[in-house]
Amino acid sequence: MSGKDRHGEGKFKRFGPYRIIEHQANVVVFAVLVITGLSQRYHAASWAQWLVMTLGGIDMVRFIHRSTGLVFSLFLIQHIAVAAYGLIFKKWGPSMIINKKDFSDAIDNLRYYFGITDRPARCDRYDYKQKFEYWGVTVGGVLMVITGLTLWFPTEIFSLLPMLPGQIIPAAKVAHTNEAMLAFLVIAIWHIYNSIFSPEVFPLDTSIFTGWISEERMIHEHPLEYERLTGEKLEGGHEAETKGLTDD
Amino acid sequence: MIYKISPTPSLGKRGGICKNALFFVLLLLLSVFSAGTAHAANNPAPAEYRPTEEAQICLGCHGDKGMVATLKNGEKLSLYVDDRILRDSVHGSFNCSTCHAGFSADKHPQRTFQSRGSYKAAASAVCIGCHTFKKGIHNIMLKGLKQAVCVDCHGAHSVKKASDSDSCRGCHTYSLSITFGNGETAHFRIDPEEIQESVHSKLRCYDCHFGFSQEEHPIRSFKSKRDLTIIASEGCRRCHFDKYTKTLEGIHYDILSRGNLSAPVCVDCHGSHSISSGRREKVLSARRCQRCHEDIYGVYAKSVHGSALLSEHNQDVPVCADCHKAHDLADPHTVDFRNKTPEMCGNCHANEELMTKYGLSTSVLESYLEDFHGVTVTFYKRQKEAVRHIAVCTDCHGIHDITKVKGPNATVLKSNLLTRCRKCHPGASENFPDTWISHYDPTFKRAPLVYAVTLIYKVFIPFMIIGLVLQILLHIWRYAVNR
Repeated sequence: MSGKDRHGEGKFKRFGPYRIIEHQANVVVFAVLVITGLSQRYHAASWAQWLVMTLGGIDMVRFIHRSTGLVFSLFLIQHIAVAAYGLIFKKWGPSMIINKKDFSDAIDNLRYYFGITDRPARCDRYDYKQKFEYWGVTVGGVLMVITGLTLWFPTEIFSLLPMLPGQIIPAAKVAHTNEAMLAFLVIAIWHIYNSIFSPEVFPLDTSIFTGWISEERMIHEHPLEYERLTGEKLEGGHEAETKGLTDD
Repeated sequence: MIYKISPTPSLGKRGGICKNALFFVLLLLLSVFSAGTAHAANNPAPAEYRPTEEAQICLGCHGDKGMVATLKNGEKLSLYVDDRILRDSVHGSFNCSTCHAGFSADKHPQRTFQSRGSYKAAASAVCIGCHTFKKGIHNIMLKGLKQAVCVDCHGAHSVKKASDSDSCRGCHTYSLSITFGNGETAHFRIDPEEIQESVHSKLRCYDCHFGFSQEEHPIRSFKSKRDLTIIASEGCRRCHFDKYTKTLEGIHYDILSRGNLSAPVCVDCHGSHSISSGRREKVLSARRCQRCHEDIYGVYAKSVHGSALLSEHNQDVPVCADCHKAHDLADPHTVDFRNKTPEMCGNCHANEELMTKYGLSTSVLESYLEDFHGVTVTFYKRQKEAVRHIAVCTDCHGIHDITKVKGPNATVLKSNLLTRCRKCHPGASENFPDTWISHYDPTFKRAPLVYAVTLIYKVFIPFMIIGLVLQILLHIWRYAVNR
């Protein structure tokens, strides 16, 4: 479907090795957390019991889950620190910051989907869907780390913050399991669709693995970034986006 | 009534010379036949029986059914002698005076007896005048019993063969004593009424006391009375093999086999001759355990379960055996036993029908099992190597001292909670017990924070997922339209 290979001569660097490694490490950590977490949540299910027993019992599963959670926490902290450092020292632009245009882009795209307008929103380096996912993972991640640590250290949390009511433990449990379920569903449905099953990238969006993105996809998905990088104006580019892809 | 003999018809037809000779032959035959009572009973031949002349005279009075003597203690003693019994008896040809020494056709001394018992003893004493026993069961009886009681088994005028049950009771209804190796003595006195009321009333003595019979009475010696009890209990397994096998897994058997002979065996709980079903009556069941576990019984009696049992005679509440089991009772100090506690309590507390009667919630088990501790315990039950103690029902509610969670005694539960939490969570602060928001679903009133978080996600997750799926569908639809 994608014309990437045919337009092979024009490629853009999208991710450096740091981001690629960061993504892959997060894939592994996320998978381990989901597997060990869900098997605790659905402890009565036969698959969960099989899994727990195979991994060496509930204490072992909890140990794996917590250690991996700790790794996830470190990833998250370093990511936020690096992002803050980059923004403060102007190493890169605020490309992930949500702005007014993201909301209008979302509305524009909906209008386009419904056939009200004939062109989709023109996005920059990260479109609103990607920002939604990024902030979902980051904010959700912080919430998971806080609630996870609360559940891991139920007595210490009260020594640290004695004013907290007892019910924060069950509340943290509800939040932890539900937030995890939400994250899992968003990844399983939205992220997997957008990076694998979406007709625009099928069979796989390889940019996070290779670091490169095709010129064609740049023009199609990130026209504003393309214009900024090349200095070209893509006035007619919209034709290529909507019709050229299939006709060409 | 005088017994009259009429000549047999065959005799009448015969000639006169042979008459006397034939009569003697018949008399001889009669004595042979009467020796086998069974034969005589099967082939009644009243015409051939002839009590002795002396007997005929005695029966003149003693053949009257109404003849009764009153003994010193007021007991009545029938003096009636049934001539049919005499007829079937091996002693049928005896003169009355053979046994009733001192009496004859013309002598009838007046005798008085204290009671039927003393009369029986005196009557039996006559038998050993002829029947001396050098060995066998009768020899043991004569040695062991202070008074001979032949008539108990063999009857008086019937002189019959002793029946199965009578043959044991003959001696054992009297207080026989036995001396054990360690010098202890015990009295064996069997109360026939006790046996009649037991569940084994239809069994014969030998069914349990194997090795013994009417003929066999092996002499056994035991080190102590306890030894005898333990060995006697082995007899139960012949029929109750399932229960016996279970006891082999039980802690009482374990203690016993390690040399502590005071550990209970079958008869300690069920009784021996008064044997009864273990569970029929819950109070009795609990009291059986009380005999050894007095202190625990005292605590239990004050608990919500125990007080309902004892004061209201409530049959729904658990007694000892409901939690600890009767035969295969496990060591309650093991992790295994702890981990089975939720299941044990759940047997009743998750039973809708039973709990509605008392207005109790059945969600207690489910809510526990869904919680952190419950999940851990559930897995520990499957994992053999788990040794950590995890809080179960009894850690908060108490074990034998379980009280109601509401009402005046509930404070005990509340104040104990923090101490119990600290056993595993040493740094637990004052508000730590509140982390457990009871066995009920969080409500706005009870746990507003938990309620709010639950509600937010209940709305947010479907909203998010439906929104994203719609986006995907729209995207695909647009792509298809453009194509």
